[in-house]
Amino acid sequence: MITFHDVYKTYLMGETRVEALQGVTFELPERRLAVIMGPSGSGKSTLLHLAGCLDTPTHGRVNYNGTDLGALSSRGRADFRAQSVGFVFQKFNLIPNLTALRNVEIPLLLQNKPAAEARKRALDALDAVELRDRMHHRPSKLSGGEQQRVAIARALINDPKLILADEPTGNLDTRTGQRILLLLKGLVEKGKAVVVVTHNPEIAASANTLVLLRDGKVESFSTSHGKEGLV
Amino acid sequence: MTLHLVKLAINNIRSRRTRSWLTILGVLIGVTAVVSLLSIGTGVEQAVLQQFKDIGYDIIVITPNTGLGQASATMGGPGFAGQSATTSAAPPSGRTFSPDQIGTASVPTSPSSGPAATVTAAAVDTQALLKAVTGLVDAGNLGTRVASVEGPSASGFLRVTTPSLSFLAAFPSILGGFTIANGTTFTNTTENEVVIGARSARTLGIGIGDVITIDGSEFAVIGILASSRSVSAESSAATGRRRNGTARAGAGTVGGVGTGASLLARGMTNTDDSLFVLRERAVSLWISQAGSSFTIVRMATGAKVDQVMTSISAELTAQGVLATPVSVQQIAANIQGTLGMIETVLASIAAVALVVGGIGLMNTMYTSVLERTREIGILKAVGARDGQVMALFLVDSGLMGLIGGVLGLVLGGLLSFFGTRLLGPALGVGSFQPVFGTTLIVGVLVASFVIGALSGAWPAWRASRLNPVEALAAE
Ligand SMILES: Nc1ncnc2c1ncn2[C@@H]1O[C@H](COP(=O)(O)OP(=O)(O)O)[C@@H](O)[C@H]1O
Ligand SMILES: [Mg+2]
Repeated sequence: MITFHDVYKTYLMGETRVEALQGVTFELPERRLAVIMGPSGSGKSTLLHLAGCLDTPTHGRVNYNGTDLGALSSRGRADFRAQSVGFVFQKFNLIPNLTALRNVEIPLLLQNKPAAEARKRALDALDAVELRDRMHHRPSKLSGGEQQRVAIARALINDPKLILADEPTGNLDTRTGQRILLLLKGLVEKGKAVVVVTHNPEIAASANTLVLLRDGKVESFSTSHGKEGLV
Repeated sequence: MTLHLVKLAINNIRSRRTRSWLTILGVLIGVTAVVSLLSIGTGVEQAVLQQFKDIGYDIIVITPNTGLGQASATMGGPGFAGQSATTSAAPPSGRTFSPDQIGTASVPTSPSSGPAATVTAAAVDTQALLKAVTGLVDAGNLGTRVASVEGPSASGFLRVTTPSLSFLAAFPSILGGFTIANGTTFTNTTENEVVIGARSARTLGIGIGDVITIDGSEFAVIGILASSRSVSAESSAATGRRRNGTARAGAGTVGGVGTGASLLARGMTNTDDSLFVLRERAVSLWISQAGSSFTIVRMATGAKVDQVMTSISAELTAQGVLATPVSVQQIAANIQGTLGMIETVLASIAAVALVVGGIGLMNTMYTSVLERTREIGILKAVGARDGQVMALFLVDSGLMGLIGGVLGLVLGGLLSFFGTRLLGPALGVGSFQPVFGTTLIVGVLVASFVIGALSGAWPAWRASRLNPVEALAAE
């Protein structure tokens, strides 16, 4: 469903050019778990941003179900982010002065959904991450694991087909991180394609697709077909 | 969406309480200045114009050409309005009185030149004037002089006002209605009759039927006027036209300038402190009285003021009278023009305050965009369009502007209510009320929202343009 074709991403830092991605080509399937690994600075986040339409490639094409993401207008990219993809960040990225419930509602409100519908769907999403009892808390009153579960609820609220998680356990202790990873893995059963950047070898072992990046290039790409690959 | 945006914006304003309030305060000060200055300005204008309206826009005043000029004579300038305390024996400011000096409107051309240099104008023949000038319906002469008055128990120098019978009939309002409280008004032109202002009667300790001596001639007291205070109360109750504030004016100002006509009346006479003798008597008793006085004329409805004025000037020349006609319309237009200019200046100053408030708002919004960069990144990551991010900030700043506007409107309103209390007496228009037109209120609210939104426009535009990845990396 998502294909990278000879993708380059170059950042300009004053005079210096940082080649974050250098000719990346691969394809990730629907309804599967993909894990992206690689040392720090190898371009994992950059890759995820391009897949999630948060940024555009310097060269090459990123395709989602036949749509060339690089060709979308600014508005088209916003709508893609709203409808087709859910992002989960290492730093949770919740809006600090809004309650958990409001944070989860925001994507729906941006889509002009009626307040009542937004409320109902946000509550369902919070139920799914077992945080309904925390819905009136602000992020600062929630633990890291809870914040990340709110973030997952928010990513799911518009029912996108693609969930992108950039080191979602990086700011969590091992036990909590384990729980988050299980939660993300569980989404595959609900029909989502889940792409996780992580250093966790266990989840890497259970992934259908494993992409290993080094210095902005794909060092290895492995796909396990068949049932045993499914979580 | 708009509603959601407003909710989000309110949430944001609340979560940055101190900064928001300081920003709102900036707008509030500007709006307060605009509202209070404009409402007071409009209030002054309306109060002044109401006084002219009470006198009548159909009135033309013909004043003798003196060193003081027409303006001060007709508008209650210092030469006439200030001299109310004539019950005390001493004449004002070192000038010695020959009785005909004021009575003939012969005034020193400059304060230093003393009584020697005087200009004496002949009286206007009102019958001839009415005949010669088409478009006039009434005309009457009114003189004032200071005379030595001896009563049964007290004596002193008092102002004597000398209206003609026709004047009394045609222009009673210029003498504050000339309402008799005790006794009767003049009965004939052949006997020496005097009507006395309320305060003078009290000071002299006289009543109906007493006989007093004015400049050597004996006069029978036939009437005592109601004090201008009670007259103004009555007239406002009767006409229902005047507002509370105006009615109270009589209480606050010496001599009582309760009625609208008082502006003119103050220039002519002061009914409470004056004595009234028919001009017909005065002319036959005191020869110098012939040269006194103002002439008041009333135009017919539909008469053209310019034409009437030209004809009057021509007739005055024909009569050999050194006098100039000034129409109430002219005076009102001049004053309105001046007031309009003052208002414009005040409004500009107030607008500067508003702009400063807007700049404060812009600064806050700019800082807010910097502080909320990460949040903008989050919003964009979950699907906010550029326009939505921009709208969020615009609503945010617009709301702060609007809150400042509403509070400024309330505070400005309160300020101007207190301000008019102080200003009224100081400006000499009595107390008056500020005027809050719908235009002012709606205009201020719209303007404060627009200023808020405009000040936020550039920061909001910047916010909407942020690259989501860079925005998310902020902090
Ligand atoms: N906005 C940016 N501006 C300049 N350089 C960047 C930017 N984002 C990432 N980089 C550089 O691009 C390279 C890849 O970064 P990133 O994709 O974040 O790697 P990873 O997530 O694997 O650690 C790094 O060298 C990083 O310093
Ligand atoms: Mg990274």
